[in-house]
Amino acid sequence: MSLYANARGGRLPLAFNAFSVVSLLIIIGLPVLSVILFAIFPHFNEGSFRAPFSNLYPQLSDPALIDATFNSIRLATCVTLLSIAVAVVLAYVRNKMSVTAGRFWDVMLLVPFLIPPYIGSMAWIQMFQFNGVWYRWTGVDFSAFLFSFSGVVFVMTMHLFPLVYFSASNALRVIGQRYSDVARVYGAGRLDLACRILLPLMMPTLLASGLIVFVLSVEEFGTPDILGSRFGFEVMVTAIEEKLTDWPIDLPGASVLSLNLIAIAVSAYLLQLVVNRKYAASLDAQTITSAANSSRGARLVAHLLFTLAAVFAVILPLFSVVAASLMSTVSHGLSWDNLTLSAYADLFTSGNGAVEAIYTSLGLAAMTALIAAVLGLLVAFTLIRLKPRGKSVLDVLSLMPNAVPAMALSVGLILTWNQQYLPITPYNTMMILLLAYVCLMLPYPIRMITSALRQQPFSLDESAAIYGADILHIVRRVLLPLMVPIMVASGCIVFAISTRELVASLMLAPAGTETVATYVFNQFDQGSVSAGMAMSLVVILVSGALIALGQGIVKRYTP
Amino acid sequence: MKFAYLLSATLLLGSGVHAETLTVYSAGPKGLSNELIQGFERQSGAKVDLYQATGGKIMSRYQAEKANPHVDVMISSSLGHAITLDNAGELLAYQSPNAAKVPDFLKNATYTAQGTAVLAIAYNTQSQLPVPKRWADLTKPEYKNKVTMPDPSKSGSALTLVEGLADQMGESAWQLFADLKANDVLIPGPNKAALNPVLQGAKSAVFGAVDYIGLGLKAKGETLEVIYPEDGTVLAPRPMMILKSTQHEALAKKFVDYVLSDEGQTLVADTLILPARTDIAAQRPGYAELNLIQFDATAAAEKAKQTKDKFAQIMGH
Repeated sequence: MSLYANARGGRLPLAFNAFSVVSLLIIIGLPVLSVILFAIFPHFNEGSFRAPFSNLYPQLSDPALIDATFNSIRLATCVTLLSIAVAVVLAYVRNKMSVTAGRFWDVMLLVPFLIPPYIGSMAWIQMFQFNGVWYRWTGVDFSAFLFSFSGVVFVMTMHLFPLVYFSASNALRVIGQRYSDVARVYGAGRLDLACRILLPLMMPTLLASGLIVFVLSVEEFGTPDILGSRFGFEVMVTAIEEKLTDWPIDLPGASVLSLNLIAIAVSAYLLQLVVNRKYAASLDAQTITSAANSSRGARLVAHLLFTLAAVFAVILPLFSVVAASLMSTVSHGLSWDNLTLSAYADLFTSGNGAVEAIYTSLGLAAMTALIAAVLGLLVAFTLIRLKPRGKSVLDVLSLMPNAVPAMALSVGLILTWNQQYLPITPYNTMMILLLAYVCLMLPYPIRMITSALRQQPFSLDESAAIYGADILHIVRRVLLPLMVPIMVASGCIVFAISTRELVASLMLAPAGTETVATYVFNQFDQGSVSAGMAMSLVVILVSGALIALGQGIVKRYTP
Repeated sequence: MKFAYLLSATLLLGSGVHAETLTVYSAGPKGLSNELIQGFERQSGAKVDLYQATGGKIMSRYQAEKANPHVDVMISSSLGHAITLDNAGELLAYQSPNAAKVPDFLKNATYTAQGTAVLAIAYNTQSQLPVPKRWADLTKPEYKNKVTMPDPSKSGSALTLVEGLADQMGESAWQLFADLKANDVLIPGPNKAALNPVLQGAKSAVFGAVDYIGLGLKAKGETLEVIYPEDGTVLAPRPMMILKSTQHEALAKKFVDYVLSDEGQTLVADTLILPARTDIAAQRPGYAELNLIQFDATAAAEKAKQTKDKFAQIMGH
């Protein structure tokens, strides 16, 4: 602490502070501010400040809104709790495995990030509705479960729990065996150990990643839209999207409703802070992981649990995507004489822009991942080590892109960058997509790296300082190497999500540019479902392979 | 001196090479937009920037860009968008000479339809239920829990159908919707959301499907039949409009002329959309074969909110 407190007046910490603050403000602050201004000034899109506040009451007094808000919070709470439960169990049993097996499952659980929520939901419907694949095989119809609140919670959890899993298993790795060994020596039972040693130590991590899951579930559109609309379940985001895309278009109204989501996210953040205060113990020493000594039975149970999770989170959706991409017609279902590879052939033969779209998305995703991971480290370092005044404002700001629906944020980006007085602007070029992706993705690396950095004891920084290292050296030579695993993990998540980002791409793509997601969307909308699914699968495989490759390379160069 | 000459020559050349660029925002089938754009570029030598999305998304982008508009010509899938913009005075008045053969209900002073969809029943022939002939057939007991319908608050075409039927049949139209509700109709969202369960066999028929999408799927081998009910149906025109803020008025008008030309309208017809011009052969049932309900769309648009609310109330939304 004293190290940076003393150095706070120095030039370097100041530069770090300024850089983090300015980047966050430009990338996230400006579009969010635009959304807020638009909510207050309903003619802000015409550059006018007429009739301030005239829109707030009429929008917020809509009775349907209270139901939608309540539904959003209920849904997000359930998804968060279930995700944490699933993730903690998996992270715990991961320790019982060999290193290689653990890595295999890690890669497996990255796959859900590659699958867009709306495709996941469509896959579930195709599998389990009346007359669906499962019904034709077994005669059992799961519609009643799928099109219910529990069904939505389950599908969303299967998609989101890996976010908690990666943070939790990283936390357990850092905690290591030593605390458990000590506790066991003093006679702690298995349950005692879990509840009184491991869970409290993991708490900050669980809270941080749980917060992301909560905010993401409040903001998610795909699953509630596709599954929820089947049984009249409306949440805030579906209400906002309605205003943004259904005639008559009501952009200021959508901005007002977005304020509601911002309020929910800020409340969740504050709640998390309060709970966190109880557990804010950082580990005072980096422990050396002693080799996991587990029985064969324990290993078997671990593999079984992971298999179960993978079946629901990875294999089922993927199977459904593959099946849909191979079906010649939808109405003839999954039968041998209805299978064809023509969707794949079309993808690579005709000059329909599929390959260009893949290049565009992969390039954008790679750049986004790199920028987001590096910025994430800088911001995390600023927040955790430098602790500038107003750091909680920065912290909340870094959460906003997950809280504001991507569509509303895209409107914010247009309002910010499509101004005649700007001498140069990224708008209407590819740069606006990069900017949008970085803005939307920054919360992931910031949350993940922040919680990892919080676990690193200050004594590391101090001992480096004693040996004469300045801040740059501490960051580069001490903290960066320790943070590489989590930076790579978050970079992979960012890469995966970026390759399939739909909403901002649809809204902001410069004329004539297509990304993977817009290509797929156009195919689903008025084209062929099998072409859209084939494209999805190709991209899932390509980016999955790139992620595996990236992790392999990093592993080789880190101890 | 020589250098200055060279420089001015390059500048001149440069300005010649950089032909005018027209910006078009279009909803609907991507293939059609691309073909229209390519055809126009070939014919005019101008360059066109196309932004392709759903009708709702292009309107959203237009609204958000108001401080610094980019779009010159917009082609929407919902007449409501044209009416809104027309009432707001944001459209440029233009009647293309090629629009002479476009029926009056598909144009006014500021917009002309590119083509039009027709509302129909899409029926999965594998479902082995009696083939529906009238809208009310879908309220029969054998269709209980077998019918979907696009949500009029999310689909401009479904809204047009509700407006048209209400205009034509009065109170019995609302009884029809109540009967549908009693028959457990599923109203899952926009057009595609209503069509998917029928394609996949979970449901049997769509009440109010966009016909050209169904016809296209049938042509691909899906077991889908598109039925135009005997008691009449409505059109869902795809309005094409020039924005007042355009910097390329002449070129924009040329583009509208092109879309309404023989060549442009043939491209429209090839997508199985009903072309706006009555003298272009449709590749599907044309104006003469359809029993169309005529009603005042502009007047209906003013009551759109009440209509949607009343529908939602009947459906218990």
